[in-house]
Formats: sequence, structure tokens, C-alpha cells
Amino acid sequence: MTVPRRSALPRWIIPASLGLSILAVGLTAYLTVTHYADAAALACPNTGIINCTAVTTSSWSEILGVPVALIGLLWAFGMTALNSPWAWRSPARWIDMARLVASAAGAVMVIYLVYVELFRVAAICLWCTGVHLTAVALFAATLVARQLERPVPK
Amino acid sequence: MAASRSHLAKTPRQTTKNTKSRSTKNRKATSRSSRISYQARYRRKRPMLRALVPIALIVVVLVTFVIIKGTDGSSTATPTASKVVAGRTGSIASITGATPLPAGVLSDTTSVSPATLAAIGLSNTSAALTSTGIKKTLIASDDKPEVLFISAEYCPFCAAQRWPLVIALSRFGSFNGLSATHSSTNDVYPDTKTLSFYGSTYTSSDLNFTSVELQTNQVSGNSYTTLQTPTSAEKAILSKYDAAPFTSQPGSIPFLDVANKYVSIGSGYTPQLLQGLSLKQIASQLNNKDSPVATAIDGEANRIVAAITAATGAKPLAGTDASASLSGS
Repeated sequence: MTVPRRSALPRWIIPASLGLSILAVGLTAYLTVTHYADAAALACPNTGIINCTAVTTSSWSEILGVPVALIGLLWAFGMTALNSPWAWRSPARWIDMARLVASAAGAVMVIYLVYVELFRVAAICLWCTGVHLTAVALFAATLVARQLERPVPK
Repeated sequence: MAASRSHLAKTPRQTTKNTKSRSTKNRKATSRSSRISYQARYRRKRPMLRALVPIALIVVVLVTFVIIKGTDGSSTATPTASKVVAGRTGSIASITGATPLPAGVLSDTTSVSPATLAAIGLSNTSAALTSTGIKKTLIASDDKPEVLFISAEYCPFCAAQRWPLVIALSRFGSFNGLSATHSSTNDVYPDTKTLSFYGSTYTSSDLNFTSVELQTNQVSGNSYTTLQTPTSAEKAILSKYDAAPFTSQPGSIPFLDVANKYVSIGSGYTPQLLQGLSLKQIASQLNNKDSPVATAIDGEANRIVAAITAATGAKPLAGTDASASLSGS
């Protein structure tokens, strides 16, 4: 008995993952634009530990000179491509692996960035938190979809 | 016969059809059974729980972060724009990376015992303030002699100089709203721990203290985020006294002006002494006259106190022998 490469996907996975990816593109695009334009212009309350500007202008807002927001935007574009209907229905195994690795990388990055926010900058950026939630949700969706995918023997 | 042939002719076809039907049903049943069996095995092999483990780990890590942060007492607000010292025209939208002072740091710093200060006196590790030779005292809008301090939060020398300045000024009045900050992690003497004047107020019957923190320790492009902008009067003072012959590097910070009569440009001791020390570790040494940190910081504080007394006539609330301290300048 052989198992075909592509089998029945849960109905929700394509719209859910694609929607989350597009949301991530929107959030990271906004953060990237404000990073280059005027970080203080971020629509974000400055109450207590909530302080977007402190986070997005901190020395941790760049990695090797590249803005974290831009890295996030590139990642979000990649996730959008990997979560497109074409990608989900493709029998190419590398696409599934790329999706899993990319979403896992996003989740690991979330842990690092939350650590930086809480313990180095001592401030939380709400827009960044939106991206973090999206990234973790994408990782969860990817993992769950892999489990719910029904293999159909020939 | 024809019917019989017909019947006979029909019977084998029916038999074949029935056989095929049974065979198809059997195959379908077998296939369905096989598929169900495979799916069952598949589900057993890849249980949903396994998929949720990484997510659960991520959630646990993040929740742990929040709990640790919530219990270390440093999760409260950074100073807000409303706390900016009156009259500042700085970019109030810019935010510092300042946090509340850990318990004990403020009291350790603002209440160094006069006995310790007297015992340390002038140390070889602290630098004297320079007399400008100016006779006219700089008076602030509240008719008190003005002590002006211009620095930046990213600057490690400024970080070092704030410690003795707080000790010295605490001899003439009291601070409210001092917070914790540190120098840039990307500069020399990185991450030097210090106190922040941004958002604080100083009350004294004898002195007016004005601080201008030009920039935060938060990198913005090739520089740091603007925090406060000097007034035109302060810029004029900088142009006049943060220049030759008082310094070989005009425009350097930290810049301390004691009523235009004494100036100090740069830190009075090396920030190297504070490297790797936390706020608590620094503050807790200030009352120990045998500590190199106290010798440098308290010694510099003595020099500032002496300059204030000489320039303004103000007397410390208790302790330091100002004339003795000033003799080193």
C-alpha cells in the first residue's frame, strides 16, 4: 500500500493560514514603514509598559543593521506564498517542509523578541504583539494541519 | 429452444455479472477497511497531542517570561511626557528606556553619610571642576543660582557623572522621580548603569537644577532618539563654556555648569569602575569609604559640592567641608 503525497486537507486550513499570513504582511508592513519614516508616529498608547516607540527605536529593533520589522515583512511574504492555495495543493514535499520550518522559525523569533521586549527594553509594542500572535497561530495551524491531513491509500 | 438458448445464453452473463459485482463489493469493502485501518494507524502514529506540544512549550515559555517580569518589580511605566521638567522643549514623543529604580538604590545614593564623604574627601580618581573666572552668577527663572547639566542617556561618561551629581545635589535639596537607565550597549563602557534625570524634579531652597538629556540610549538610524532640546540660553552657555579653553573637545558631554562659575566637561572618574556592576551593587558601595567605587564617586561628589558652595554660597544640609574639597580645583 502506498500513500499519495497530497491528500484531503482540513477545509479551514487554506483560508485560515492565508488570512493569518496576509494579516502578518499588513502588520509588519506598517511597522516597517514607520521604522523608516517616523517610529514615534506609531498609533500606539504609551501607558505603563505599553510603549511601541521604545521597542521599535531600541537597539534591538535591528539585527545586523536590518530592521526586525523588515525581516518580519519578508517572512510574512514568504508565509503568504507558502500558505497560498497553490502551495497547499502542491504535491511538492519541499513546500510542506519549507512551511513547517518557516512557521517554526517565526515562533522561535517570537520567543526571542518577547524576551527582548520584557527584559531588555522593558516595554511592549502592541503592533509587534499582533505579529507575534499571528506567527504563533500560523505555527499552530501548520502543525495541526499536518496532523489532520487525511492520507488516502491508493 | 430459442427461449432456452436465450435463457442459457443469458445465464452465464448474469453469473459473470454477479461475480463481478461481488468482487467489486469485496474490493470496495477491503479498500474501505484498509483505508480505515490505515487512517487509524496514521492517527495513532501522529496523534494530535504531538502537534500541540510545540505550541504548549511556546505558551509556557512566554507565560514564564511574563511571570518573571511581573515579579521582578520593573514592569511599571517609563517616565511619561507629563513628567518632563517644566520648561523643557524636548521631543516629548521620544521615550527613554528608563525603568523604576530598584529598592534601596535611591536611599543609598541620596543619603551617603557625611562621615563617609568627609573620610573620602578628594580622591586621586576624581577630577576637579574648572573655574570660569566669571563673576556673575547664573540665575534661573526662580531667582535661584542654576546648576545646569547637559548629557545624554546613551553616553557612558554621562552615566558615570550622574552618580556624584545626585549625591552632591542631595546635599542641598531633594530629588523626586529619579529612574534607572544605562548607557548604550554599543558604545565604550557599554551598559553603564546610572540614574536618569529625565522625568524627575529637584527641590531646593538654595539651588535650581536643570538637566537636559539630549538623547536616549535607544538607537535611531545612525544616532540615538532625541529626548530633550536645549533652550537658546542653554545653547549659548554650551557655546561659551563647552569650548576652549575649558575643553579641548568643544561640545563634549557631560557638561556641568555650576552657576557659570565652575564647569566640568566629561566625567570626573572613569566609567570603567562601574563596568559590570548593577545599580544596587554601585549604590550599596557608596557608603563604604574603602570601596574604589565610593572613593571615585564620593570624591567627585565632594568636588561638586565644593564648587556649588563656592559659586553660590549655598551650604550643604549636613556634612562636607566644602572649602577643603574645593582646594583640589
